[in-house]
This record gives sequence, C-alpha cells and structure tokens, in this order.
Amino acid sequence: MRLLVVEDDSAIREFLNRGLTEAGYRVDVAPDGKSALALVDEEVYDGFIVDLGLPDMDGLDVIGRCRALGHTAPVLILSARRSVDERVRGLEQGGDDYMTKPFALAELLARVRNLLRRGAAPQMEAVRLRVADLELDLVRREARRGSDLVQLTTQEFALLEYLVRNAGRVVTRTMILDRVWRMRIDPATNVVDVQIYRLRNKVDAEGKRPLIHTIRGVGYVLKEN
Amino acid sequence: MFLRKTKSQGRSAAWRIAIWPTAAFALGSAIAFAIMYLLIAKDIRQRSDAWLSGEAEVLADVSENTPRDALYDRLVQEVAELASREVPDTSDAHGKHQASVLFLKTEPRQEPIWVGPTPKELFIPAVTSMPLVPGVPANVRVQGWKKAFRVVYHGQKDGSGLYLGFADLGGAQMLDRLTERCLMVWGVTVALGFLITWLAAYRTLTRVERISETVSRIGSEDLGSRLPEGPHFDEISRLSRTFNRMLDRIQSSVNQMRILTDSVAHDLKSPVTSIRGSLEVALSDADQRQWRERVAEAIDGLDRLSQLLNTTLDLAEADAGALQTRKEPVELSDLVKQLVDLYQPAMAERGHEVVTHLQPALIEADSSLLNRTIANLLDNEIAHLPNSCRVNISVRVKDGEAELTVEDNGPGFPPGLRSRAFERFVKGQHSTGHGLGLAFVDAVARAHGGRVEISDRAEGGAVIVLTLGEAVNEKVGR
Repeated sequence: MRLLVVEDDSAIREFLNRGLTEAGYRVDVAPDGKSALALVDEEVYDGFIVDLGLPDMDGLDVIGRCRALGHTAPVLILSARRSVDERVRGLEQGGDDYMTKPFALAELLARVRNLLRRGAAPQMEAVRLRVADLELDLVRREARRGSDLVQLTTQEFALLEYLVRNAGRVVTRTMILDRVWRMRIDPATNVVDVQIYRLRNKVDAEGKRPLIHTIRGVGYVLKEN
Repeated sequence: MFLRKTKSQGRSAAWRIAIWPTAAFALGSAIAFAIMYLLIAKDIRQRSDAWLSGEAEVLADVSENTPRDALYDRLVQEVAELASREVPDTSDAHGKHQASVLFLKTEPRQEPIWVGPTPKELFIPAVTSMPLVPGVPANVRVQGWKKAFRVVYHGQKDGSGLYLGFADLGGAQMLDRLTERCLMVWGVTVALGFLITWLAAYRTLTRVERISETVSRIGSEDLGSRLPEGPHFDEISRLSRTFNRMLDRIQSSVNQMRILTDSVAHDLKSPVTSIRGSLEVALSDADQRQWRERVAEAIDGLDRLSQLLNTTLDLAEADAGALQTRKEPVELSDLVKQLVDLYQPAMAERGHEVVTHLQPALIEADSSLLNRTIANLLDNEIAHLPNSCRVNISVRVKDGEAELTVEDNGPGFPPGLRSRAFERFVKGQHSTGHGLGLAFVDAVARAHGGRVEISDRAEGGAVIVLTLGEAVNEKVGR
C-alpha cells in the first residue's frame, strides 16, 4: 500500500513517515502543495494524508486538484483547527476522514487502516472471532475462554469485541470511547481504565494467560503474548 | 486646553438646544398677541362706527326737519356740540385737550357750519375732498393728526352735505397701552423661557460632560472607579448605570484575562517541566524498563496539556459567542444513562453508590457538547468526593424545561468557591483539575438557552442543576 503524506511541519512529517513505514506502508512525503501535486502527477497512491495548513496553498485545494486529476484514493485530513464547520467543510470537499492535532499515532494508524479497507472488496461478516483460546460468538453475543463461558454485560461484550477485532493493534482510550460508546469525550478521570480493568478481571481470570495488555501512555492491546 | 474645548462644546450644545424651542415659543406667542390685537381693534372700530352712524342720522334728521330761519345754523351747531360732548375729550400725547368729534355742514351758498377741533381750515378741505359714500364711515387723515377720523357723510335734499367725524383717541390709547404691555410681557416671557431652557439643557449636559470626563479618565489602570449614579432615574442616570455595568463587564473580563494568562502560564509550566524532566531522566537511564515508564509519563503529561488546551479554546469560543452547536433532537435521559453506564464502574471502584431517576426529556441539543458537559460533571464527582458517597442523578421536565440534577452527600462546595465556581480557573484548594470544568458546563448550558445552578444541600453535599432549555416531548407526541 502506497501513501502520500502532505505536511509542512517537518517533525510531524518525519514521525508520520516513520510510524506509517513501521506499520508496513510505503510512504512518500511532501512538505507543500506544489511538490505534493508534482508527486501525484507521476505516482499512483492508495491513500493520502493531507494537512490543511500548507505554506503555499490550502490543503483542501490540494485534495480538489487530486480529485480533478482522477485520483479516487481515500484522503485523511489533518488540521489544527477543531471547529465543527472546518470538519464538515473538509469532509464535503473530498476528505474521507478528519483528525485534529494533537493525535495519537495509534489512532491515525487505525483510521488509515479503516480508510484503506473501505476501498477493498467487502469481506464476509464474521460470525465468530477468535484470539488464542478466547472465542466470541457475535450472533449469540457470548464469549468463551477455552470451555468456560465468560459472563459479560452488553457494554463489556461490545468493548471486548472491539479489542478482539483490533487484536494485535494498540487502541487508545479516545478510540475506545469513540467506537464502543460512540462518544467524543475526553474524561479527566480513569473511567476507561476501570472498564478495561473490570473486563480484564473477567476475561483474564486467574490461571489464564493474560490477553489484554496496557501500553502505558498510549492505550491497550489484546494479543496472545 | 482639552477641558476648555469640551466645556465650550457643552455650552454651545446647551445654546443650540435652548434656541429652537425659544424661537418657536416667541413666534407662537407673537402670533397669538397679534390676533388678539386685531380682534380688539376691530371691535373698537365697530362700536365707534355704530355710534357715528346713529349720531349722524340724528343730526341729518335735525338739519332736515329744522325750519330754515335765522336760528337754523345756531340750532344745528348746538345739536352737534351736544353730540360731541357725548364723547369725553381726551388729552393727546402732550396733555393738550383735543376735541375728538368733528361736525361739518356744508351749504351751497353759505359759510359751512363747523364744530370740532381747530383750525377748521385744515379740516374742511381734508373732509370735503374725500369721495365718501353716504352713510358708510371711512377714514379721513388730517395733516398733523396721528389718528385718522372716521367720517360719515349724509347728503341733503337742498344740496347741503353733513359730515360727522370721530377720532377714537380713547380706543387708540387703549390699543397702544395693550400693545406696549403685550410687548413687555412677551419679551420677558421669551427671555425667561430661553433662560430656563438653556439652564436645564446646560445642567443636563454638565452631567453628561462629567460622565465623559470620568470615563475618559478611567484607563486600564483605574478600572475600579465608577460614575456617580445619582438619585434620579432619568436617562442620564441610566447612561451612568449603563456605563458602570459596561465597566463592570470590562473589569471582569480584564481580570479574567489576567487570571487566564497567569493560570495558563502556570498550568502549562508545571506539565512542561515534568514532561521535560521525565524525558531527561529517560535519556540518562540505561534501564530500558525504566525508560519506557518515563516516556509513558511524558505522554500522560502531554495528554493533560492537550486537554487543557482544548477546554481553554472551547471556553474562548464560548466567550466570543462562537461556541458552535449542531442541534438535533436528543433524548437527554438516554444520553445520561449511557454516560452513567460508562462512569458507573469508576464510581463503584471508589465505593460510590449511583442512583438514577431518569424521566424522558427530548431536547434540541448538540449531543457531542452535552456528552462532554455531563462527563465533566461526573468527572467532578469522582475527583472531589471522598470514598463511599451516594450520588443521585435525575433527569426530569420541570416547567417545560429539561433539567439534569447531580446531587451527592459529600462535603459540598468549599466555602467561598460557590459564588465564583463558573469563573475560569477557579478551583478548590485541593482540586487537581484546571478549574475550567464548571465554566465549560456553564458555557454549554447557556449555548442551549439554559443555565447551571449550584448549591449545598441542607443535610450536606452538593447539588448541581443543569437546565437545558425547552423540552420538546409534547411536540413530537411522546
């Protein structure tokens, strides 16, 4: 998968480059609109990450020009402006997703993954999800650890399902709140941690190999080891 | 120099304000006086004309019916003199007695009979040369006489003519006196009116002037001083009051700005310091496990920083009236229930018991802002309550307005904090927050046409009541 990152701030550009490359993407970077359009002219990309505040032109114009050139690949907009109008304008003018700075790399990776999947052929909706000896039955809304049934509330099941679907990938608290609770809030207290802690008590019961891991400073990951 | 200039401007404004009503008053009263004068003059003339016509007819009758003998002239003359005595002689301007009635009978072949003022040579040609219509009084001017004579003429069958004239000196004098007094009264009234108007305008403008002097003196250094509001409740006092309210607002925003700048600086400095510290320690640390711990600490610190920035920006937007809301129908009780579900475990971990009473309340609201607002309130409860408290959360519709109440049996608000709880960066002594929470809640409530009220319960504990505008339950037929 080939991505183009258009970002004028060299520190952010470099960290995006490194993060995305480590995640397995082939990344080209452009510091301004002009060089971005020059690259777009020659290469074919599977996705774009565009900052709105470029030194030579508006990021939205870059997106418009790409669209005019026939590029249909998904675009993730980055912006320091948080206003709702700005977000709506960005999504109306060719953006597929919108992120405000500052953001966690984990969240950016999740969003990029989502965007790229959007273009791919729809997969068969799974009925069962499995990680190690943890199995989720999405139809009966049941979770089993080995042969033991794990008693979960609806909310806990939704949280576990989200973790399992993203098994092996770090998810942030913001992502959990957004995807599981459908809320864009930024709690000042450890509400998400307590939710995870409760879930972990049930899923990683005594004697079982722990599956839910805390990545300090970032979030959580569900993985085998 | 500046002071003098503004003073003279104030005076000229008073002058301008006074001159127009005075002019209008002067003109109006002058017209009224003139009309009165004309009516009186007309009345006087009508009376004297009536007397003149009657007398002339009697005289014509006498002269007609008296036999023409030697006594004829004498008789006519006496009758005429009798008639003239009916009118008291009046003195002229010099105190000289003047006969005000003239009688002339002209005969074709004889000397005319004359009764009246002297010298008759001056009067006879003046009277006879006038083309007079018999029986109709007309004005005859005689040289040397200020007042014209009203003269009536009767022609006689024998070709003689009979003239009776009357100069109404009494009426004229009365009119003169009237005019004189009217002019005096008029002049004094106009002058007095002008003076009063000018004084009133001047006094009022002096108050305005004082306001502008005081306001111009109030710089950013002296925002505490206020205009005297005075005992009156007139426009000027309202102006003072308005200025004072404006100064109150300016002062409080300036104060808030100072607090904000100080607090942001303070709140930014400590996390920046600790982040820097963590990273420095990480750099000099050889142990990789320790190193990860430091970096994680730094990221936590950065998260707190960005949270502070976001809330500060939200509040700045709210202050500028630019808090953008995307309103849609939201079931408040559902929204609260979701948040309570999210917060319940964290509350339970601290031994709090959460009791909810949620009644349906459909409102037009920005659900994203509401989520953050209610999360804020719940964060507050977690942060400030000692362990094992009871938290009541209820949603209801009261007087058509949706109302969310969060109530606890904790220690309540610290004394002195309650009145200022909605100001930015105001926080309790032991609070670990940045003091923006309730200010944000307040801003969101106001953006929804509602309000936040906080109080202490009589039996201990705090109550926060968030009103979120009109509930639309009925409208959609729920």
